[in-house]
Amino acid sequence: MKKAVVALAGNPNVGKSAIFNALTGAKQKLGNWPGVTVEKKEGICKYKDIEMHIVDLPGIYGLTASSIDEKIARDFILHNKPDLVVDIVDASNIERNLYLTLQLIEMDANIVIALNKVDLAESKGYKIDAKKLSEKLGLPVVPTVAIRNKGIEELKRAMYNAIKTKIKSSLRYNDKLESVISLIEQKVVEKRVLPEYPSRFVAIRLLEGDEEILRSANLQEEVIKQWILQRS
Amino acid sequence: MELMRLSELREGEKGIVVEVKGDLKTKLLTMGIVKGTEVKVVRNAPLKDPLEIEVRGYLLSLRRDEAEHVFVERR
Repeated sequence: MKKAVVALAGNPNVGKSAIFNALTGAKQKLGNWPGVTVEKKEGICKYKDIEMHIVDLPGIYGLTASSIDEKIARDFILHNKPDLVVDIVDASNIERNLYLTLQLIEMDANIVIALNKVDLAESKGYKIDAKKLSEKLGLPVVPTVAIRNKGIEELKRAMYNAIKTKIKSSLRYNDKLESVISLIEQKVVEKRVLPEYPSRFVAIRLLEGDEEILRSANLQEEVIKQWILQRS
Repeated sequence: MELMRLSELREGEKGIVVEVKGDLKTKLLTMGIVKGTEVKVVRNAPLKDPLEIEVRGYLLSLRRDEAEHVFVERR
């Protein structure tokens, strides 16, 4: 049976544990992330000819590595390169949640979105068009209510298909921003800045002034500014 | 409209975020408190610390010294 590593990512309180339990059932393993007292949950979900090893990442709002939880999640996605990331989005709080989604896309991850708590979103009066969202993001979106086990079979199927086909989102920002991103990305590729990471991800983080990335790339923010100014 | 700190808004008052400063800047931006976002003070704990705000349809509790670093225009 083919093995695949699947990471579960999402904001705190989106029902990540409920999704984890629904996917893995009783086959769970509990431990810690190496070196830190942050709980690590792992489990197995078998679907057709694939054995999916599910890793539950800490609940996070973003991937800026500003907290230990964010650093764990970021390092896992960048270094371990899971075959798939299931991004659990709280439908009742979709705007804040989609920020993490964008960061995952920037990391060039293979992503399936579990749009959880759709029942709560409806009771709040939200009407979310999952199909439209999927088109806009360029990613599969599966509505779920994990605590009622709704949408879990559909989610498993979407995960399976994504592992087989590896769909990458081609979502891009506005032209002005993209022109600066591609400028920095060019420099990143030329100068071989952190070549083990996706170049677009490095470029965006440098543009943002991400301290950790600047430090590990051994670059000053001033240098990035110079790159941008040199353009004209 | 006047520029003030988020911590200076009274219960029920709304403001538009103008600038975020301080150590928590990245964290607050990540949570959707960016320039142009509407925030509403829902309620204050005794001594105004912490305070609860509504932003982008969810509730968030902030310490007073964190809210002092968020500058808003009162609506």
